[in-house]
Amino acid sequence: MSDAALSIQNLRVDFPEVIAVNDVSLNIGAGDVCGLIGPNGAGKTTTMRAVCGLQECTRGSVRVAGHELARKPEALKRQLGFMPDFCPTYDQLTASEFLDHFGRAYSVPNRAKRIDECLELTWLTEKRSALCEELSRGMKQRLVLAKTLLPDPGVLLLDEPASGLDPLGRMELRKLLLDLRKAGKAILISSHILSELSGFCNQAAIMERGKLVMSGTIAELGQKLTLWKMSVKWRNNGDKAPGILRAANVNNLEVAGDGATFTFNRGADALDELLKTLVLEGVRISEWRPIGDELEQIFLQSGAKDLM
Amino acid sequence: MSLIENPIFLTQKRLVHRGGVFAAILLAVLIGASLLAGLIAYRSVPSNFSFDSPQEAGEVFYGWTLGVEILVVVAIGFARISAVLTNERKAGLLDANRLTPMKPWELVVGYWFGPPLREIYMGAVLAGLGLVIVLLGKLSIVLWLGTQLLVLSTAMFLGLLAVLMGMVFQRPQSGGIFLVLFLASQMFSFATPKLFLTDFLLPIYGIANLFTGEQIYSDQANEWSGLPDLFGFSIDPVLLTVGLQFITGIFLWRIAVRKAGNPFQAALLRWEIIALFALLVFFQQGLIWGQWRGNFPYLAGYSNRFDDNLNWLLPVVHGGTALLAIVFLAFASPQPESIRIKAMRAGIKSHAGIFSHSSVSLAIGLTAAAGIALFTHFVRSIVYLEVFFIAVANLLAITLIFALLLEFCRLRYQRRAPGFIALWLFILCALPAVLAAVFTNSELLKFSLFAPGCAALAGGNGDENLAALSRIVAGHLCIAILLYAAWWQEWKKLLARSASV
Repeated sequence: MSDAALSIQNLRVDFPEVIAVNDVSLNIGAGDVCGLIGPNGAGKTTTMRAVCGLQECTRGSVRVAGHELARKPEALKRQLGFMPDFCPTYDQLTASEFLDHFGRAYSVPNRAKRIDECLELTWLTEKRSALCEELSRGMKQRLVLAKTLLPDPGVLLLDEPASGLDPLGRMELRKLLLDLRKAGKAILISSHILSELSGFCNQAAIMERGKLVMSGTIAELGQKLTLWKMSVKWRNNGDKAPGILRAANVNNLEVAGDGATFTFNRGADALDELLKTLVLEGVRISEWRPIGDELEQIFLQSGAKDLM
Repeated sequence: MSLIENPIFLTQKRLVHRGGVFAAILLAVLIGASLLAGLIAYRSVPSNFSFDSPQEAGEVFYGWTLGVEILVVVAIGFARISAVLTNERKAGLLDANRLTPMKPWELVVGYWFGPPLREIYMGAVLAGLGLVIVLLGKLSIVLWLGTQLLVLSTAMFLGLLAVLMGMVFQRPQSGGIFLVLFLASQMFSFATPKLFLTDFLLPIYGIANLFTGEQIYSDQANEWSGLPDLFGFSIDPVLLTVGLQFITGIFLWRIAVRKAGNPFQAALLRWEIIALFALLVFFQQGLIWGQWRGNFPYLAGYSNRFDDNLNWLLPVVHGGTALLAIVFLAFASPQPESIRIKAMRAGIKSHAGIFSHSSVSLAIGLTAAAGIALFTHFVRSIVYLEVFFIAVANLLAITLIFALLLEFCRLRYQRRAPGFIALWLFILCALPAVLAAVFTNSELLKFSLFAPGCAALAGGNGDENLAALSRIVAGHLCIAILLYAAWWQEWKKLLARSASV
């Protein structure tokens, strides 16, 4: 039995003409945030819906805190929070009444206090008396997030949670997710926008056409990268650096002033060796970083096509 | 969790009250009070009215109050429940509620009683004013109690049906359209009191019987008075209606709870489908059993007397049974996709495995139940068993052809399946009638899928005619065998595709 807070094993979902999710296995521990990445139609939403029982699975099992969801659905429903990619709300209820409905449904203790906490967490305290129909899409999204957090579930499934948020809302969401991660929640989050996920995801799972192309911790996946797009800047002995880079057979080398960009296709270890060589040759490196974030590089090399 | 703690009920109550209930209650008060005022006016100056007695005036005014109450509580309540549930399902709120630890039956109860609260308030007002009219009109309190019990029972029965429909319909207004069609399909009950199931599934006979109990019998009223028989036992129509609605309601409840818990599982288990069908069919055959008392086609109490006036009765019931079987198969048959998934889970690829999961085996089960029910008319007339066998074989051909056609078209044409099914049913059922009309040859009519059983049960058939009907039924069964081969070919293709992916 897995110790993971959420364990998905060999999940398969069949649609009439296509296998929507094909043999997907994932383990997410407490305090882990796993980014589920993939192009449109990759099967991300279907996977999430299948995990929480809203989509019929052909086979596979889902375990929450070590217990099979199908066997103890009522008990484990409190442990599993799902936020869909659209915002189902009762238009004629106020934000606090909406949360009160779900607070009752989840039998949340100290309901009123918990509702206040969730409204505060999602920056909706001022809107507590506003009707749901009066809320903007971003606010509705926050309200549905508040509803998801209401029973304090151990596992969160968030399907495109930031799609309707403005830049400030996205920053706040990122902060909230980091807090949730620190609080030991296991989070599976899908998004089209990789920059939303980088920074707080410590795991990634890349899907294409229903299959998991790649999955693991960001560090593990980084090790598997073979093609790096790099940026380097130096302070002295800059004339030596291009020569060393050329000698190391980097590609697409472009030198501009005290720096250069290049691509490197011999893996992370060889890249570390190259940096070591530069330093040993007396080049004082002021910047050495991949162009774009690591998650983006992982995704680009994962084989997932038809990118966003 | 009680009703007043049920989150869905409380939320629906909040939404109904937010939408306003005062105007609706006021409207009900105005309607009820107007009718009450009419009765008071009659009591004050009877000569201004054409009623023969205070009781007749009371019946008329109470009848109108009851009519409005039924319209509000039963009809509008049904449309409200189904519309609310359809909207919430499409908005994703039903799924959101499903993901909470609420039990499926709590979801059903919440949607059953929450959305029609406004109509319930209006109904309560009208029922109260109706009671005043009954007392003032010097009518029996049994009339009020009986009719209110029937309204309550019908509202709950149809409300449960509305919950189910709301889980299926794509448009909120579909519930209203379904109800109109459902009620329209019951209208012929008015022409045949006591004889058909539809008289008792809806409280048509029960209410009419309570009103006629108040009257001095006229010829017309006589048809609506007296107790109906069920396999020779007389039962009070109110009890019969409430009992039938209760037993059918148990099945609806099980479907609703099952679908609320997991929309992907079958609405009813196979034995439940057959049990519900058998219940309805036995009930129907029981209502007309007293005409022959097991000695079809001889009238009860006579050993050799036909009654030409009853020739139509068993053919109509046979046709109705076949239609009911088709409705059951259409609603209860699993989608090929769900059979495929079950087969993949269980590793089934065999012919027998697919057959047992498909609606084809269900068709055989339904025919068996209907056949046993039909046999109750032949227990004392074994010499007429040929008629019985033709009717059962005809029923088997109808259900098999429909089940095979349904699955074959779903497998082959997918979204376009309903059009192809309708086309084939037209060819098999209606085209012979059209050709018979065009060529003015009534013999052609016998080739219609429904015809052989109905013709055999109409009585008065000679051996030659029965032999001709047997040959036509055999032809229909051959069509079923051809369809079966085509159906299995489609299944083999699908299973091969599943294995290759």
